[in-house]
Amino acid sequence: MAILEVENLTYAYSDGLPTARAAVNDVSLTVEAGSFVGVIGHTGSGKSTLVQHFNGLLRPTAGRVLLGGKDIWADPKKIREVRFRVGLVFQYPEYQLFEDTVRQDIAFGPRNMGLSEAEVAERVEEAAAFVGLPAALLDKSPFDLSGGEKRRAAVAGVMAMRPEVLILDEPTAGLDPAGQENLLRQVKAYQQERGCTVLLVSHRMEDVARVADRVLVMHGGRVAMYDDTAAVFSRADELREIGLSIPDVTRVFMGLRARGLDVGENVYTVEQAAARLLPLLRRGKGE
Amino acid sequence: MLRDITIGQYFPVSSPMHRLDPRVKMVLTVLYIVALFLPKTWVGLALSVVLLAVAYALARIPFSMVVKSVRPILLLVTLTAALNLFYNKEGVVLFQWWIFTVTDSGLAKTAFIIVRILCLIVGSSLLTYTTTPTALTDAIERLLSPLKAVRLNVHELAMMMTIALRFIPTLIEETDKIMSAQKARGADMESGGLVRRIRALLPVLIPLFASSFRRAYELALAMECRCYRGGEGRTRMKQLRMALRDGVALLVMAVAIALLIGLNSVFPKVI
Repeated sequence: MAILEVENLTYAYSDGLPTARAAVNDVSLTVEAGSFVGVIGHTGSGKSTLVQHFNGLLRPTAGRVLLGGKDIWADPKKIREVRFRVGLVFQYPEYQLFEDTVRQDIAFGPRNMGLSEAEVAERVEEAAAFVGLPAALLDKSPFDLSGGEKRRAAVAGVMAMRPEVLILDEPTAGLDPAGQENLLRQVKAYQQERGCTVLLVSHRMEDVARVADRVLVMHGGRVAMYDDTAAVFSRADELREIGLSIPDVTRVFMGLRARGLDVGENVYTVEQAAARLLPLLRRGKGE
Repeated sequence: MLRDITIGQYFPVSSPMHRLDPRVKMVLTVLYIVALFLPKTWVGLALSVVLLAVAYALARIPFSMVVKSVRPILLLVTLTAALNLFYNKEGVVLFQWWIFTVTDSGLAKTAFIIVRILCLIVGSSLLTYTTTPTALTDAIERLLSPLKAVRLNVHELAMMMTIALRFIPTLIEETDKIMSAQKARGADMESGGLVRRIRALLPVLIPLFASSFRRAYELALAMECRCYRGGEGRTRMKQLRMALRDGVALLVMAVAIALLIGLNSVFPKVI
């Protein structure tokens, strides 16, 4: 079942002026409920602009966005409800923290939803657990946390609204490799446990390859590809043409295949690579 | 959207007025404002309007910009005009109703004052239309440099102004981003009474302050890393140099002021 549908969406900055340019140009797509979609594209491809339409932060210049089959702009007064159903975590979300304590900050979203204090408290605990924030940190000031902890607190602030669709814009930017790995794993676990839909915006192929079932490739404000992860990465040459690189491991494996080694297709992560190579190595030793 | 706000009103075209030395333009603006209060005759007033029109034509600023600069003070002009109109009891009565009396000399004086105020605003706008904010701060630094004698740190003052101007667009962008982020968490900034609306701004203001402090700290570090130590012995990349046109402009203004004073004794006074 489709949870999000986008019909001929166009968005132009400074509309009506001669300088107007379409940041998103005639995009149509469907996101299935429960799927994990990676959105990739290089800077200026329109990926961030596109996802800001999904929770009604931006209003399309033309076209429609349907959430659960209903136009989100059917009643502009109810746009806040859309924002509770579609949670958006911005780039560098740690700069939006403002409350006295981390607990209060995570509770900001749920409180805006008008939930009871008991319900809010429960959701805060749950969200903090999802992102791996220790309970001891919850009563500290968000400004006393480390960069990585702030990031996780900010992500928890959106998760606590229990959105049906969770969108993360470059969530791993600026984190160290261990932090990136952790955050991605937590988001994936969250998606599987809650059964919600996740859109992950990133320009890092490795991130997307590791967690996404489907990949949306944006280029020049248009959809360049939208397919299963395997199908998208098999079009490596086209990806390279629009200035995107495929994961390093995938490139190595394509090289190996080109030299006539039977290592198989669709390798995007180091784990997958190890799983492919180990049997080959053992066979090599056995002979 | 917030990012549509333009700060400063520099109008980027190439013209002799744009090329004038910013210091000269500043002095000219002050002189023009003073000169506006000299004429007491219609001819003198007309001369100051003509002077301004010529300056605008030279600066190649479209008339729509002139209108735009006047719009914010229309209320003030109307109020001043009304007060002048009804408080004047001299001359022939043209119209009377309840406590309101309009006389011919009152009408003339009111018209005179309206033109004067409009010239004042339009004239000072010309400075900001033709001079970039950075050129302006440069000019202020140079014009105020005599104040160093009274131990005022003119360079620091100018540097603070430059930095403040430089960061206005950055802060607007940042505000926009934080507002979006809080709206995404259901912050409601568009409804409710005054108190609620002010409270609703806290989630935006606190992160904005936090990030301003962070930016200030980073900027200070970056400046120190590049050995910035204040104005002492510092040279400029863009040296301000007076040219022939600057002399001509000052001369024209001097002649105009002399004329404005002279005309007062030739023609009948209105004010």
